[in-house]
Order: sequence, then C-alpha cells, then structure tokens
Amino acid sequence: MIRRPIPARASFLLSLLSILVLIVGYTWMSRRQKRINPSDTTIPTWSQLAQGVTQSIVPNKRTGERWLVDDIRASGQRFALGLASGVCAGILVGMLMGTLPAAEAFFHPPLALLAQIPPTAALAVFFVLAGTGNAMFISMIAVGVLPALAMSVFIAVKAFPEELQFKAYTLGASHAEVVWNILARHVLPRLVDAVRLSIGPAMVYLIAAEMVVGDVGFGYRIRLQSKLLNMNVVYPYLALLAGFGFFTDRILHELRRRWCPWAEGEEV
Amino acid sequence: MTDLILKINGVSQAFGEKKVLFDVNLAVPRGQFVSLVGPSGCGKSTLFKAVIGTHLTEHGEIRLFKVGGESQGERVTGPGRDRGIVYQHYSLFPFLNAQENVAIGLTLDGTSIPGRFFKPFTWWKKQREHMERAADMLQRVRLSEAMKLYPHQLSGGMRQRVALAQAMIMQPEVILLDEPFGALDEATREDLQGMLLKLNEDNQAARSMAGLTPLTLIIVTHELNEALYVGDRVVGLSQHWDWEAEGHAQFPGATITYDQPAPVGIAKTSRDFERFKMQREEIRRVVFEPKKKPRRTEYLAPI
Repeated sequence: MIRRPIPARASFLLSLLSILVLIVGYTWMSRRQKRINPSDTTIPTWSQLAQGVTQSIVPNKRTGERWLVDDIRASGQRFALGLASGVCAGILVGMLMGTLPAAEAFFHPPLALLAQIPPTAALAVFFVLAGTGNAMFISMIAVGVLPALAMSVFIAVKAFPEELQFKAYTLGASHAEVVWNILARHVLPRLVDAVRLSIGPAMVYLIAAEMVVGDVGFGYRIRLQSKLLNMNVVYPYLALLAGFGFFTDRILHELRRRWCPWAEGEEV
Repeated sequence: MTDLILKINGVSQAFGEKKVLFDVNLAVPRGQFVSLVGPSGCGKSTLFKAVIGTHLTEHGEIRLFKVGGESQGERVTGPGRDRGIVYQHYSLFPFLNAQENVAIGLTLDGTSIPGRFFKPFTWWKKQREHMERAADMLQRVRLSEAMKLYPHQLSGGMRQRVALAQAMIMQPEVILLDEPFGALDEATREDLQGMLLKLNEDNQAARSMAGLTPLTLIIVTHELNEALYVGDRVVGLSQHWDWEAEGHAQFPGATITYDQPAPVGIAKTSRDFERFKMQREEIRRVVFEPKKKPRRTEYLAPI
C-alpha cells in the first residue's frame, strides 16, 4: 500500500473525482443555504455567481468602470514590476555575495534581518518611504521577495565546485566569463525554482497592500466586496488568483525544462 | 640541454605546524608522461594545486617553458590556459552537453563577452567552427555517438574521456590528471589507460616530426601498476625519508624520494603487470613503507 504506485488511469480518475466532489459539494451547500435564507449571499448559487461575473465585466452603469479589467491592469502591472525588480535585485545581490567574499560580509547581516520582517507588517514603512502610488506596491513586493531570491542565488553560487571554476580558468576564461558563462548557467535552474516559490509570497504582499491603501486592484476589490458580503464577486476573483498562480508556475516550470534540460529531476 | 616544459624549484609548503612539502625539485622534459605516486597525505594534491596555480606555495617556484616563450620560462602565478586539468570528480560542466563541454575552451579562450554581443555574425561563425572542432576531438576519443548527451547521462568512463578531450583541444603545454580513473571500474580503467598509451604513441611520432609539439602529461595516481603502465617516468613523493640525516630536528615535509624511468608501454602489448614486479616492489618499499627511510638522492635517476 504505502508508496506503491497506482495505475495512471486510476490516478487520473481520482484527480477528476476530487474536482467533482468540490463542484457537487459546493452546489449542495449553496442550495441548502438558499432554502434556509433566500436572500443570502455568503454561498451564492451558480446563477448568482454568473451574475457576479457579469457585474465585474460589464461597465458599471453609474461610473462606467469595468472592475475586472481595471483590477487586472492595476494588480498585474504592480505584480509584474514588483516581481521583476525583486528578481533583478536578488540576482545582483546574490551573485555579488556568491562571488565576492567582501560583498558576502557586507550584505549577509542586513539580508538575514530583512528576511525576518514580514513586509505586510512593515506596510507603514513603505507607505512613508514610497507614498501610496504604484511605487509603494512595487517596492513592497521587491523587498519582500529579495531576501529569499538573493539567498538562493548566493547558495547556488557557493555550492558550485571550485574545481570547475579552476577548470574554467585553465580553459582560458576571464573572471567575467566565469561569472557569465559558468556561474550564471549553473544558477539558472535554481533561480527559476526560487522565482516559482516567490510567486505566492509576492501575491500575499500585493493583496495585503492593496487591501489597506489601494483604490483599484484585486486586494481592494476583494476587501470591498467581502465587506458587502458580495461573495458572488469575491469567489470568481479568488478563482482568478488561483488560476493565475497556477499558470505562472506551469510556465516557469516549462521554461526551466527548456532552458535547463540538464537539471531535470532536481527541481522543487 | 633537454627541452624542458616544467621546472619545480625548491617548493616547500607548511600549513601552520603541519609541514607538507619540503624542497621539492622536479624537471619535466617536453613530451614526457610523468606518473606521480605517493602514500595518502604526502602532499600530492598540494603539489598538484601549486602546479595548476590555484594554491601557490610559500617557498620555491614553478616555471613553465612555453614554445617560443622566454628561455627563462614563466613563473606560475595562477591557473591558465597553458595547463589543462582532468579531475577525478567534477570533471565536466554539468550544464553543457559533451560537445559543448569540449568546445567551451575554444569559446572562452577565443572570444570575449562583448564580442559575442556586438559582433553576432562573427560569433556565430566562430561558434560553428568551435563545435566542429569539438566534434572532431570527440571522434578522436571515440565518443561521436554521445556528443549531444549531458554529463549526467554519460558513464564515468565516458565523462573522463570527454574531460580529456576538453583539455586536449586547448593544446596546453601540459595536462595534469588527478586520479583520473580512480572512480572507474577495472574494464573502463583499462580502456582509458589504453587511450593514454595511444596518446603516448602519437607523442613519439610527434617528437620525430618537426613542427609538432608533443603532449606532456602529469598523472597523479595511487595505483602503482597504472603509474608504471601509463607513465614514462615514475616520481614518488613521500613523507618517509631520512630527514634526520640532513640535519633536521623536526619533520620538514614530504619530498621526492623516488624518480626512475618506467618501461615504455605500447598500446597493443598485453597488460602483463608481472613485468613491472621488480620495480613495483621497489617503489612500494621506497615510497610507501613507513619504516624504510631512504636518503633523498638514493633513488633519483638523472633524466
């Protein structure tokens, strides 16, 4: 039983079953809730959910806003810029630390401390330093993912066998070539893994910040609609977040497979 | 005077209280295959690292005499493209396939990062040429089939062959091998030893032809049969020598206690290690036996 593989067919059917259980269970719960209280919005029925989705897509009659479009644009931009700057800074700091012991001594203490502060707790700091514009969301995500990324790059560089580095020198490499042609190549799969792992935290930071200071975006909308108990809007938003996280992860996984075919089997 | 390639002059090294090497002197003529043997802890790897230039020693110097270089030679101050290495482990870059692993030396040596970015057409042309040369080199070590495989898909023996091709394509003045076949099974080891003997044969041919530079090899091994079979010359580094006779109150470090020519092996001859028996026993006695402490010069033959 334990750890014994099951047929692929059975495995597929079980996955299908789990999704089915979710759908059927939800349908049953929403119907029951409807019978108890017809005006209830906490567990909306499928038709209520469809209405919520329409409400988010069709322009608002009064303001002309299209919630979902505006929110995707705002949150997506913040997320992409924040993660991108965090990754770039993480690569830079991690590479410096891995290659230069002086940089390691310099960056290690602040990074170790920074990693312990939840960015959501330090919200006010970002608010004070970066204002309430996009800069705040971006810097919060960037600072939030930086320590973990920098550390994984640093550890990957550190783990590179020095023999291979010496060998690169005997093959005529310059210092820059050791960094670019050897160390960067070695770090790449670990970097992609680290980025995959930091998508979740980055989303947490963004949503939290938007809940507190945003006037548009996923966090803002979810908080507002939750307060109004408009769960038929909240649930589709959550589903969208789940889908986004899932597909970003799959894309990175696929990129890793393409870029680093040598590193199959050692991924997270 | 013989055409020297490498000269180790009075190299000594201590790590704090721990004395490792004492006054190591060695001159290697061009085209020689030198086997370096010694008991574990004798400082073989310290000497090896000093020749590569990654860990310079406190005293003494190592000089390299390049073809067309200065007659005084150049002092080794760091790793360089004139000395190739083949390690026991970590022999290949895991992120490159066999062909790329062989070609990367040409790439690193022959192009620069800005060049690759700003002159892409020249770069692509060069890259193609490097890959072709790598393919030729892999054919020489009989690995044409495995060109596109990554190191983790190769067997230990194949990896070492790629590593040898990787070092050879650079045509370095000398190739250093650190226990290259230590982790291999007997059959593979035999196969690779045969390959080194083949190289040695090519060397004899190169020596007789003008204009061709023969390959010089220094192979560190703990296997005496291998040392005698592959090498033209066996050098024993040992901590068991009569240092008291030279007036040292304390052990000053390991030094070369044995240096004799080895019977020249030919690839096709049988691996009959019986013919090495006498010399093998002698080496075991002189280099490896702790109780027997020879004087330094006792077993050194002039080259």
